[in-house]
Amino acid sequence: MTYDKITLSKAQGLATLTLNAPDKLNAVSRKMIAEIKQAWEEIGADGSVRAVLLTGNGRGFCAGADLSDPDRKNDADSGSALDKFFNPVIRTMRALPKPIVAAVNGVAAGVGMSFAMAADIAIAAKSASFLQAFSRIGLLPDGGSTWFLPRLVGEQRARALAMLAPQISAEQAKQWGLIWDVVEDAALMPTATELAHRLANGPTQSLARIKEAMNRAAQNDLSQQLDIERDFQRELGRTEDFREGVTAFLAKRKAEFKGK
Amino acid sequence: MTETPVLAALANGVLSLTLNRPERLNAMNNLLIAAMNRELERARADDTVRAVLLTGTGRGFCAGADLAGGGANFALACDIVLAARSARFDQAFVRISLMPDLGGTWFLPHLVGDARARALAMLGTSLTAEQAERMGMVWQVVDDASLMAEATKLARRLAAGPTLSYAAIKQAIDKAATNTLDQQLDLERDSQRALGQSADCREGVAAFLAKRPAQFTGR
Repeated sequence: MTYDKITLSKAQGLATLTLNAPDKLNAVSRKMIAEIKQAWEEIGADGSVRAVLLTGNGRGFCAGADLSDPDRKNDADSGSALDKFFNPVIRTMRALPKPIVAAVNGVAAGVGMSFAMAADIAIAAKSASFLQAFSRIGLLPDGGSTWFLPRLVGEQRARALAMLAPQISAEQAKQWGLIWDVVEDAALMPTATELAHRLANGPTQSLARIKEAMNRAAQNDLSQQLDIERDFQRELGRTEDFREGVTAFLAKRKAEFKGK
Repeated sequence: MTETPVLAALANGVLSLTLNRPERLNAMNNLLIAAMNRELERARADDTVRAVLLTGTGRGFCAGADLAGGGANFALACDIVLAARSARFDQAFVRISLMPDLGGTWFLPHLVGDARARALAMLGTSLTAEQAERMGMVWQVVDDASLMAEATKLARRLAAGPTLSYAAIKQAIDKAATNTLDQQLDLERDSQRALGQSADCREGVAAFLAKRPAQFTGR
């Protein structure tokens, strides 16, 4: 599959998905979201991929939906684009049994911010910013933002961010727990790439079950969650990576995980 | 003398509700609660009301029930809370062997996380406005002298905004607390589809593309 509005590269178990419309701060056109969806499906089907790095080319991470996209006018129903493209992307990202790192290199607005929040670990450049722009044009946050926001920053900040649409700095986002970390602009890609490679060489089965357990924790009560942990731990206890991890720990050497 | 426990005034689309028992730090009694219910029902039913500003007269916002202390939870039920720097937030219930009510046991963990929620409820710790802001319990702290000016400005801005969008945001975030992400994505799709047909959304997109401020009407 060849792509035009994104690039997808794979090396050493790491897939890197880069939004690639730098002249528009990677605003999402219909063409781009179709390619993003295709790329996530390709990543999901490729057993050699053990972690994903999501970033944007140029000054922006993703400026949200491209309101000047000519294809948008042919489709006045904003619900149908969510149904066909955006929601499947968010669902695939969350269900993907592999860790996703977002390297937020610049502005993450609208659904661009949703992409960052749907990742498992988001790291932002110091100059990056976050904005729930939707209410500025009479819409509500989508791409799962109305679900992610209250869980990440609490009810009060979630409502204010959605209703007042302030642009917040990467530092503020970190302080509020919206993202994992902030680094100097020049350090963003080296840091995020190193982290993503580390995850790609990690105990993939363990990382996948951590992800799934956290997904379920959002709805489970503690008692249900304890049962989930028991079941997942039982499965993980039978993996090669667990045996390797314990052996390496006892031998005081570095573990060599295979993702099996 | 007849007490008016809640003062109500409608201007510029903002219904201002002012708790008015200053001699009791606006503590709740049956009259005050009945008046609040009446005014909130009016705010819901009257289309000319596009935002509500809730505050108190005198030194206190609301000291809670005459004997308990649920005043803080009146504030936590609001969408956006501005607090004066000298304001304090207090879950005093445990001091008289009660538990937080008016939704306090729900709001607290959703605002500040489980660890802080349990400690605040069990210890009855009094928080400064700045502590409450750092924890995410309130949106913003402002100087005492500018509180009413800032809050009025914010309420007017919301009242002049795309109110269908705010209503949808409010409803979506309410539902998010119990929905799965999967259910929430469907809810966003349905709400976005409805908002996409609104006059305010057409105006918002047109204004964005023309790089001018949007003129929202709430339709």
